[in-house]
Amino acid sequence: MSNPANKPELIVNGKRLDGRGLDELRPIKITSSVLKNAAGSSFIEWGNNKIMAAVNGPREALPKHTQDPDKAVIKCRYSMSPFSSIEEHGSSRPSRRSQEISKVIREVFENVAMLDYFPGGEIEIFVEVLQSDGGTRAAGITAASVAMADAGIPMRDLPYALSVGRVGDTLITDMNKIEDNYSDADIPMAVCPRNDEILLLQMDGTLKRGEFGQVFEKIKNAGKVISKLQTDALKEPYINIMKKYGGL
Amino acid sequence: MRKIVVPGELLSDKSPRGKDIIIENGKAYATVMGVYDDQKNSFVPLEGPWYPQSDDLVIGIVEEAKLTTSIVDMNSLYKGLLISKYSDTNMESGDIVEAIVRDVDETRTAVLQRPRKLFGGKIIDVKPTKVHRILGREDTMIRQIEQSTGATIKIGMNGRIWIKGGDVALASKAILQIEEEAHTSGLTERINKMLTEGKNNK
Repeated sequence: MSNPANKPELIVNGKRLDGRGLDELRPIKITSSVLKNAAGSSFIEWGNNKIMAAVNGPREALPKHTQDPDKAVIKCRYSMSPFSSIEEHGSSRPSRRSQEISKVIREVFENVAMLDYFPGGEIEIFVEVLQSDGGTRAAGITAASVAMADAGIPMRDLPYALSVGRVGDTLITDMNKIEDNYSDADIPMAVCPRNDEILLLQMDGTLKRGEFGQVFEKIKNAGKVISKLQTDALKEPYINIMKKYGGL
Repeated sequence: MRKIVVPGELLSDKSPRGKDIIIENGKAYATVMGVYDDQKNSFVPLEGPWYPQSDDLVIGIVEEAKLTTSIVDMNSLYKGLLISKYSDTNMESGDIVEAIVRDVDETRTAVLQRPRKLFGGKIIDVKPTKVHRILGREDTMIRQIEQSTGATIKIGMNGRIWIKGGDVALASKAILQIEEEAHTSGLTERINKMLTEGKNNK
């Protein structure tokens, strides 16, 4: 684990360790429909994070006792591959941490997908972390929401997720692994871009009174960029074909 | 002007034609990916599941055959139920059947009627949202493919297509091309061209 004694200087002259500004996101690249056998899929490269998300369903929920006669159930599995991290998370077996993240991802989509269309059904979401560098739960939700739209599951909105942290008196957007380990607070949030509904809110560490409003503002500002990338990734395959043959 | 929309994207203030839309505060938003045409004010989904309706033709595979009922897999959350009261064909598990949806109940079961066994042939799966485009206006597109390739084609609204006889490879290639390019214009001419070329190359 990170020893506070080894804490590096995280912010020097308004620049962070990797040279980013305080509100600057890491480079993000999203591709949709990467897997043929899943109903919907996406691949996200968010800085050094590489995450594959896939969605299956809706189909009959099995075993039968998991069925809900009023709506579909979502089953989510977040897992880190054994080669994904150099430190403590390097194992793909179910752990306390991966169970927690699976649960929060499931709850994000339970609140945004229109599950009452599929009584007795199940929708499976798989988030596979191939390489991790901090903020995988946020990147995983962002990728999973693209995969859900690609699978054609009706949703009220296309959620994105992002984490903001506090280092001393400064708030920084989109923390990487080192910042995550030594920061004073880490707040991942998942938000609906249309009406700024909050779908996930966690906090690790402490925040000063009144700082939460600033955190949310930062997330909403950076979220516009992430939302645009998600939308472009989904539209790209269709627009490429339309450009080739006309129809726009 | 046609545009591709994603879930949660604003369509218009007026309620558009089509399914897969939610209306909040008098504004319509898409819930799946689709194409929105603002002149016709219509929304056509590009992705999404199939919801069985009465009179839909489906292609299914018998999963379980019992004395009085057989359960049919329709590549969907919904199961098809064939009751021997409505048919005199004996089903065995693994049979491919073509049937028509009689009615759908709240337990996700579609009761099927007028089943016909299909022998041999090849099955391809397409997205259920593209089936209407494959059929074409008044089934013109599929008739064109059948005429050019000499194949017999049955199209289930559940996105399963059965092809037998004639040039199966060319027919399935044409169908998969329609599936991929369903949202573009001038598709009929391109398919005609492709079919003539494919026939001449043989």
